[in-house]
Amino acid sequence: MNLSGWLLSAAVVLLFLSAGVALVRRRWGYATATVASGLWMATGVLALVSGTIHGATWWGPLGDAEGLQLDGLSAFFALATGIVWMATSAYSYVYDDRSTPLLAVTYAITLGAIALLVSSSSWLLFVFGWETMTLASYGMILQARGRSGRVFSAAFVFLAFGEASTLFVIVAVAGLRGMTGSFGEISAVAGGSLAVVVFVAGLIGFGLKMGVAPFHMSEWLPIAHSSAPSNASAVLSSTLTLAGAYGLFRLLSVLPSPPPIWWGAVMLAIGAVSVVLGALFASVSEHTKGLPAYSTIENNGLILVALGIALIARSNDLLDLYVFALFAAFFQALAHAVAKTGLFLSAGYVEHAAGTFDLNSVGGRIREVERGAYAGTVAATLSLAAAPPLAGFVSEWMVLEALFQSYRFSPEWVQLVGLLAGAAVALAAGLILVAMVKFVGFSLLWRPAGAAGRERSRGLAVPIAAVGATVLGIGVAAPWVLSFLVPTVATFSGLSVAAPVGQLLSVPNGWSIVSGSPFGILSPPMIPIVLGMGAMVGVGYYLLGERRPSRRVAPWMAGSAPAQTEETYTSFGYSTGIRIMMSSVLLTREVRSHRGSVTQAEVATPVAYNVDLEVLDAFKLFYDNLIRAGEALSAFLKSAIMPGRLGRYLAYILLVTLVVVIYVAAAA
Amino acid sequence: MTRAPWRRADPATVGGTDEWARAYLPDDRSFELRNDYGSGAAVLVVPSGIDPEPPEPVAIAGIADRPAPIGPVPAVEGYGVFTFPYGPISMGVPEAGRFDVRTYGERVLSLTPVAGYKSRRIRERVVGRSVEDAALVIERMAGNFSAAHVAAFLGAAESAEGIAVPSTEASVRALGQELQRIYNHVHVLARVAEAASQNVGLAQTHALAEEVLRLQGRAFGHRWLFGALLPHGPARRLDADDRSRLDQDLRALSDEFERLWSLFLESRTFVDRIQSTCVLRREDAVRGGAVGPTLRASGVAWDDRLRVPMPPYHDLFVALPHESAGDALARVVVRAQEVRSSFLLIEQMLERWPATVATTEPPDGRVADHRALARVEAPSGDLVYDVATRDGKVAHVGFRSPSQANWPLFAAGMRDAVFTDFHFAFESFGLVFSETDG
Amino acid sequence: MPSWIGQSISRGIVTSRYPKVPASEDEVPLSGRPPVLDAGVSQAAIPPSLCPVAAITDGQVDQGRCVRCARCIPAGLRFAGAVEASTRSREALVVPSVAARADTDAPPPLPDFGRSLHVFLVDVGSCNACNLEVLGLANPYYDLQRLGIFFTNSPRHADVLVVVGVPTRAMVVPLRRAYEALPEPKSVVAVGACPISGGVFAGTPELLPGLAEVVPVDVFVPGCPPTPVQILDGLLRVTGRVRGTSRGAP
Repeated sequence: MNLSGWLLSAAVVLLFLSAGVALVRRRWGYATATVASGLWMATGVLALVSGTIHGATWWGPLGDAEGLQLDGLSAFFALATGIVWMATSAYSYVYDDRSTPLLAVTYAITLGAIALLVSSSSWLLFVFGWETMTLASYGMILQARGRSGRVFSAAFVFLAFGEASTLFVIVAVAGLRGMTGSFGEISAVAGGSLAVVVFVAGLIGFGLKMGVAPFHMSEWLPIAHSSAPSNASAVLSSTLTLAGAYGLFRLLSVLPSPPPIWWGAVMLAIGAVSVVLGALFASVSEHTKGLPAYSTIENNGLILVALGIALIARSNDLLDLYVFALFAAFFQALAHAVAKTGLFLSAGYVEHAAGTFDLNSVGGRIREVERGAYAGTVAATLSLAAAPPLAGFVSEWMVLEALFQSYRFSPEWVQLVGLLAGAAVALAAGLILVAMVKFVGFSLLWRPAGAAGRERSRGLAVPIAAVGATVLGIGVAAPWVLSFLVPTVATFSGLSVAAPVGQLLSVPNGWSIVSGSPFGILSPPMIPIVLGMGAMVGVGYYLLGERRPSRRVAPWMAGSAPAQTEETYTSFGYSTGIRIMMSSVLLTREVRSHRGSVTQAEVATPVAYNVDLEVLDAFKLFYDNLIRAGEALSAFLKSAIMPGRLGRYLAYILLVTLVVVIYVAAAA
Repeated sequence: MTRAPWRRADPATVGGTDEWARAYLPDDRSFELRNDYGSGAAVLVVPSGIDPEPPEPVAIAGIADRPAPIGPVPAVEGYGVFTFPYGPISMGVPEAGRFDVRTYGERVLSLTPVAGYKSRRIRERVVGRSVEDAALVIERMAGNFSAAHVAAFLGAAESAEGIAVPSTEASVRALGQELQRIYNHVHVLARVAEAASQNVGLAQTHALAEEVLRLQGRAFGHRWLFGALLPHGPARRLDADDRSRLDQDLRALSDEFERLWSLFLESRTFVDRIQSTCVLRREDAVRGGAVGPTLRASGVAWDDRLRVPMPPYHDLFVALPHESAGDALARVVVRAQEVRSSFLLIEQMLERWPATVATTEPPDGRVADHRALARVEAPSGDLVYDVATRDGKVAHVGFRSPSQANWPLFAAGMRDAVFTDFHFAFESFGLVFSETDG
Repeated sequence: MPSWIGQSISRGIVTSRYPKVPASEDEVPLSGRPPVLDAGVSQAAIPPSLCPVAAITDGQVDQGRCVRCARCIPAGLRFAGAVEASTRSREALVVPSVAARADTDAPPPLPDFGRSLHVFLVDVGSCNACNLEVLGLANPYYDLQRLGIFFTNSPRHADVLVVVGVPTRAMVVPLRRAYEALPEPKSVVAVGACPISGGVFAGTPELLPGLAEVVPVDVFVPGCPPTPVQILDGLLRVTGRVRGTSRGAP
């Protein structure tokens, strides 16, 4: 094992070790985790630059060869998760002020588990990491501060979906073992009916973790309903879903290629539905953590959309589109992971400063906001809203460009799917803007007169600012980032690829992203340059022109007093228009309850009443009914099949087990 | 003098005692005085517990004017519900007055008008002045309803003093009122067209309204009839040439209006926007004591000019347009038909213009010695004045304006409407803050 | 079939060409012009109590107080002042004017608003007549947009604050807020007798004696209410594009 191998092994081990350190001193644990994340990220970079890294190897319990390795594909995910974890660990150093180290321990174990599964060279190790990740995250969610009943039930939902995911992943892995005879991750498989089972099981299993429709409840409910700690939520939303994406990518890279066309079409459809649902529910959410959780659903849907386009293109032998769509998928994953981290860290900042998760209650509680937190949050939300020149803009552009080229698909029904998916993505882009404006506007940007506010918190603001700067950097330097990701796409596709960069007019070569031969072109670095030049004109006018002193006045409220904190436009009111317009999808209903007696005599005396406008996730209704049906079935079966005493059944089971064991041992 | 028909009231309706001693307008709660249409006559129902004696002229002290909500403020609570103050300075509502809207966004859960911003203390101002000087101030209670306010005030003062008014005076007052009715209804149509973004319709009706104002300026020397209707004022009087010119001009305006109105009725965007907007049901209108086109649009056929006419209306044919839908469209339709009716009334008046000075008897609204009520149909509805005189000077003035009566009905109609319906509803009611605050 | 287009064509153009041409009689009715003392009328013939708003004193007529009640007409005054009656200072409304004052009394120069003016209307306590006259400037007969004048919906977008009505106590603070919300450079126009002197309400303790107590006023437009062309004259005075003279000389 060479030096880079040692580095890789050290990084993974150190991540697990920080759990132990945290038991001693909580803060030191986070510091170790920060260092370990940096090391992990560095190994990812190293692998992308200089080729596959092989770390420690050993023999697994089933006699298979296991070990750590980073090839082009896993190196990308190491890079992405590393960036996220550095920010969240540094943030947790200040944020976590609990008396027990449980949060720190579960946090570190989750990180270690994800690192393990990303760098695993064997599917068995992958499953081990997967399950550890689920259990450790469950532990993290349980650390939420809230009503214990609610917390437990939300964490339980998470665990239930997580175990279901593990189940499907195991099925997929077993199928691969059956096809290839080994657990090795790199070995490709031939076609066959088993491949379909593997694909479907993998899609469901990894989709459950990514939080795409119809499993998106696993994403938003645990985070929103339990009010899990912000560093946990950041890890859950950014990197757990990234782990799911990694699994899907890895699985697809070993499945036969070109794949049947319906594989790509199904992924495209699922992705499109997730995108719309996520954006819609995000725009009507009032929870500082629920809103970003819905946005995660939307973004992971975008990853699936890009991946679906890639697969369809591969089936249609459109190799340039295939490669471009892959670049889009990876870039989308990177942009989302970093920006979403910023959002959750910002929600934690709001929680620290205002003591609430409700966007309607934040206003008036924060007196001053750290500039870094402010800038970082704005950058992260703008990125998710796809505003140039940030990373989210570039990734959304790339996905849309790939979708535009769906006219090249055949047969025609696939074109139709692409068309509808494109419309869905465009709709979502509009809705998510509402959500992002709401998120940053009502939490940090607006401080009405009379705000109280807690003291500043620089420790929390620095990581947020760093994340914002990263998002901006990735966006502006996108062409070079894409060139950096060439090994990833090459490893996945097995082709030799070149970065989709090119040249147009007088923009230097390599500064523009090209989508397909000749289709679209974008130059992210030129955006700030051109904006800057335009700004110079304005600055010139200002400097050369007459300068007037500025004057601050209260906002104009039609002559009434500038609103005090109690009576101001609420975040709820901001998106009621959407609640009412999309009432058939959101299942909006208004519930009124009268207070006091209802007098009919006076038309001029209105009644006192309470009113609530509620929206509902139709899928949650479905799951609730499913669970109820399952419970009813189980109760029926229990009374029909096992009406006797439990003790007797247990004794019977033990007896039978004993008999079987004796028989097998005797026969062997 | 003949007793006014509205003196024949069922005593039980007003609490059992001599109702006319009690039928006066309390200073602070004039808007609570309601009409009772159930008995067939519009009786002024006085809330019980009111002191029958008129208050002494209040010494004018430096009281800070504090705007207050009209009616009780509804208590609507809920997640995300907040109060949205609209006013007192906004371009949508051109006057100074505020609306507190309770909402969770998009929908109006409840709306409370807050008035008092324009309180100019006119009631205190005129105490101790001669009737003529007081009329100068009363004219400016609401400039666009100046003829109605002056006619009602002078009618009550003359009744209190036992003076009969010459029929030319009565005719001039009626002419002024009808002209202002035409102006106001056309102006309401223009405002509704503006709210519906019908810019061509807006321009045409706005121009028509301007023509009415110019016609008033030519005929009476003042576009808003200030000073023109006062009994001994030096305002212009209409001679035969003036009257024939007036008749000609009005025919042209009438034709113009007919064309515009038919174009509006054919415009689907216009009609759709005001149909079913801010519906006021008949039972709510009756129970709440609505007045004016609002009342007639909700199915109650009541008009002061027909039921309690001041001269010369008792000689003229007054149409009584009414609708039953109670929505903004019905209110606009009633107003348009009233415009037609007004043109017809003016034509009749000019035709019969009295050649000799004769006295005509107004309805006797006396409620006590030197104290009387008078009622006219202002463009927005029934306007009541209560005037008491002492030694030929004004001792007390009270009034209940149509806006004061209709505010609670506007608030009730706006419940559960959406924000964008506000202007259609507000303009169709024709509510004015200056005659609310006084 | 009748149509809006046919209707518009048959109506033709009715827009006034003021200020290029003088105001016509239709645009300014009899009592629209401010009152002036007839030459040869002796001050002694006019009892001071004749004018209900005490606008006539010592042979001088304070046009800022006049409410056009026409009681002074039989005594020898005439509605014969210039149509362009708006002035830059309160004192200039008293006619005939006193001898030329020193420069220190001259009103401060108006900012240069260029050729377009954005106007925000505030009603502080009017009877609605002035309100409707100002808003009537938007109708096709006057069409103030042809002169580059526009109404805005927010004071933040405005250059000029047009105030109508006698300032009530309740409206002082909202008016100040509106004035503060206007960005520099700005100016204020008082339209009607009420904001200038209180009009018929002068002397009521609950009302302020004039707008100048609350905000600095740059242009005074007398009348009760002033006709739309006179209001237009006042607005044009803000940009310095007035037609004719500004005094009340016959």
